[in-house]
Amino acid sequence: MKALIESMLGYWILLLAISLGLASLIYVFWLREALLS
Amino acid sequence: MFDFAIAGIHAPLFLLMLTGFTVGIVGGFIGVGGGYMVTPALIVFGFPGYMASGIDMTHIAGKAVIATVRHRQLGNIDWTLGLAMVGGTMLGVEMGVRLLSYTKALGLSGVVLLMASVAIMIGLFLYTQIETHRAQKKINQLSSEGKTVGRELSTSSLPKLFQSIKLYPIVRCRTARLVISMWVIVLVGISTGVLAGFFGVGGGFIRVPALVYIVGATTHIAVGTDLLEIVVSGGYGALRQSMMGNVDMIAVLFMIVGAMFGAQFGSIATSYVRGPAIRYILSYSLILATVGAFLRLVYILSGAKFEVLNFAAVVFTLGEMIFLCFFIVSLVVFAVRFRQGKWVPPWIPSLVVSA
Repeated sequence: MKALIESMLGYWILLLAISLGLASLIYVFWLREALLS
Repeated sequence: MFDFAIAGIHAPLFLLMLTGFTVGIVGGFIGVGGGYMVTPALIVFGFPGYMASGIDMTHIAGKAVIATVRHRQLGNIDWTLGLAMVGGTMLGVEMGVRLLSYTKALGLSGVVLLMASVAIMIGLFLYTQIETHRAQKKINQLSSEGKTVGRELSTSSLPKLFQSIKLYPIVRCRTARLVISMWVIVLVGISTGVLAGFFGVGGGFIRVPALVYIVGATTHIAVGTDLLEIVVSGGYGALRQSMMGNVDMIAVLFMIVGAMFGAQFGSIATSYVRGPAIRYILSYSLILATVGAFLRLVYILSGAKFEVLNFAAVVFTLGEMIFLCFFIVSLVVFAVRFRQGKWVPPWIPSLVVSA
């Protein structure tokens, strides 16, 4: 984890992965039914 | 879920406020309206396209006022530069819209236009990334030599070229500390306005790099001055959209509540970082918006058959906002830690101001 944070690119990738993961959760829990209906 | 009577839909209230908050942070930090993120997000939440555009424009105008007031307090607005540019921008937007109608009459398809916009975004992303990377290396080099480095460092030689044009009237922008021909500012306004009108976007992400790399303003001044422009252009857009009945004011109100806090935070966050940090976030915003738009295009071109493409487009639109927000918040956290003498990643000292 520390190696990822110490590189700017690594930190970029880590944050993007977390953000996309959170966005997926929002999609699954709040938006999926509304979009499919 | 909240019942939005004017839009005629049920939408998640929490997500609406969260969108306002996150785009407020990003907009206050990099000086853009954020329409390229908000409109697709509102459509995902269930708002019809025309209303998503109206709500987005009205919320952007309100958010820009909040961010502009804060940036004025931070001394990031050059009124001469901003007001000289507004007229050119308005003219440019009108020319861009007419150019769009003309190219459509010539039979150029929407796909070609979208490919052109993607090419411009990628070009801007690459130039900003390369220049900012050079600036960061230069800051590291100067720091290692024990020299003091200010809040701004740009390695682009274009501003000197444009500032050397002696075409009267010459204006002195006191806050931005630059002397430049009025025609350069007006032409930058017109050309960024044409691009904004042609591609149907607000244009903040084109104007901020133009103010830095052509006019020669510091990134902080470019952000504050661009927000001033958005107050004028966004305010006009909001008025037009309201007159056409495209605005659900209740939705705008909830978004503004989120944006009120986000825009304040984003604007204040600029005082913790150097210019290259803002330019990095701007370039990330450019490339992520491009990928998001590309995914949406592929989904539409495939006849909306593949649900996985829709999932990817929606997740990318939301993820992009969360990512930019996290990055800005983490920069502030690292800046505070750096001031306190605590551990920070090795790439942080060149991007944040020490006091």
